Amino acid sequence: MDLSYLFYLSSGLFLGWSLGANDAANIFGTAVGSKMVRFSTIAAVACIFVVIGAVFGGSGTSETLGALGSVNALAGAFMVALSAALAVYMMLRTGLTVSTSQAIVGAIVGWNLYAGKPTDYTTLAEIVGTWTTCPLLSGIVAIILYLCLKKLRKCSSMHLLTRDQVTRVGLIVTAAVGAYALGANNIANVVGVFMKSCPFKPLHFGNFATLNPHQVLFLLGAIAICVGIWTYSRKVIKTVGNSLMRMSPSVALIIVLAQATVLLLFSSVSLHDWLAASSLPTIPLVPVSSTQAVIGAVIGIGLIKGGRGINWGIIGKIVTGWVVAPLMAMLICFICLFFLENVFNQTVFM
Amino acid sequence: MFNLKLSMFSGTRELEEKIDEMHDQVIESVLAFQNAFDIYLKEKRSLKYRQASKKMKQIEAKGDELRREIESKLYIHNLIPDLRADVLQMVENIDKVINEFDEVAHKFYIEQPDIPEKYQGKFRKLVKEVSDCAENMAIASRAFFRDFTTVRDYSRKVYFLEQESDKTWAELKQSVFDSDMELAHKIQLNALIGDVADIADRAEDCIDALLIFTIKRDI
Repeated sequence: MDLSYLFYLSSGLFLGWSLGANDAANIFGTAVGSKMVRFSTIAAVACIFVVIGAVFGGSGTSETLGALGSVNALAGAFMVALSAALAVYMMLRTGLTVSTSQAIVGAIVGWNLYAGKPTDYTTLAEIVGTWTTCPLLSGIVAIILYLCLKKLRKCSSMHLLTRDQVTRVGLIVTAAVGAYALGANNIANVVGVFMKSCPFKPLHFGNFATLNPHQVLFLLGAIAICVGIWTYSRKVIKTVGNSLMRMSPSVALIIVLAQATVLLLFSSVSLHDWLAASSLPTIPLVPVSSTQAVIGAVIGIGLIKGGRGINWGIIGKIVTGWVVAPLMAMLICFICLFFLENVFNQTVFM
Repeated sequence: MFNLKLSMFSGTRELEEKIDEMHDQVIESVLAFQNAFDIYLKEKRSLKYRQASKKMKQIEAKGDELRREIESKLYIHNLIPDLRADVLQMVENIDKVINEFDEVAHKFYIEQPDIPEKYQGKFRKLVKEVSDCAENMAIASRAFFRDFTTVRDYSRKVYFLEQESDKTWAELKQSVFDSDMELAHKIQLNALIGDVADIADRAEDCIDALLIFTIKRDI
């Protein structure tokens, strides 16, 4: 394998690190913010399931991202991932949680513009459409779960201490599901653009399992996500944890569950195939933003509780970040591709 | 892993039992106090009253022991910090109510105040209102762990009974000072009436904190 590939891949891994730092906060930020679970415990669980999700369920969304812009040169892929990572990192420095999905879409469109390739507007519309449907769906799921839990509370006479222990276990389980969904849905953002030039050989784990070259690539991306989770997600958790809205442990559980459900809906190949086979409208296999899902869920619950507890100021800033992040990634990508091609003499597109 | 989970829940169950026992102590001290007061009105510092006062002391000691056990278990079982702080404060508040019952009963034993016949009815009324107040506080506090709606229902009762006890306290105090008793006697009775009425205030304080905990925990 050419060592330069690993150098180029480093930008994808940097993006993976940003995703881990940023999006892990969405999976277990509420659990840690509400002081239900220790950071180290839930971070370890999340890392394991991100890897499983990415390696075994990451293929569906990667295809959609590939359809948006077929980044066909390694140096181009490097810059696309780097621009997205830089955009996310800059937003992260402000302490705001942003969408890696949006940043990578912005960067791919930037590459398309630079390379003069046509952007597949149907796919772009499909992806941009999910930026609205994802938080909306997440909000609806959160409201349904909230109402169900409230009803359940009335019927059950479980002791508060037992209930808190159950909630704690529930948070760990849903964080695991959320991490699996994040790995499956978002790995395309991290290393999707490198799939065309993937040089890896199948990786054998004795007779137990074999990973195909793409899965090896996904594994590397997932490890980068895990490093991001461990090293930088605490700061973002401080924002998502409790500053958007003061939340009880049960609400924290609902938010993680709603987010995981939505991410799974947008990345489940089996569900997609089943809906298609049953002639029902399908849910597109698109890497959606876990940030948007979690904000949607927080707003959903905030609204059903009368809308008083929501910190609209912070939500306004986050939504601004959603517009700024893809534009910033597009701009950085466009400018840097110019330098990469003309100053460093690299082939950034075929 | 499975054993770990089981032990986690069994530890919680043990803690739940201790908290339930703590509430039982409030109910017991209410009953013991009413009984002791009845005995005092009939027999003053008799042997029977001495036993009743001793019983109150035992309940108070048991309450203290339970409070300490709950405190250490709360930390051992690593409950959520937010809930842990609330439960700790609740248990301490409950313990203070139990202590007050014991202190007042002990004061009667030490000071042996003479309660003239014409004030006994009002005094009984005050003790009944204060006891009901503490009892309803215990029910509300116990309900906090299982049913938030009940907390609100019984909290209303506590507030109502506390207001009633305030009225009775004011009437009793006025009639004591309007009487032609010795000033020292008036002051002694006034202090004791105030001590009894303070138990209702303490119960009200518990409910104030409890309602805030309920709002915090409601989903």
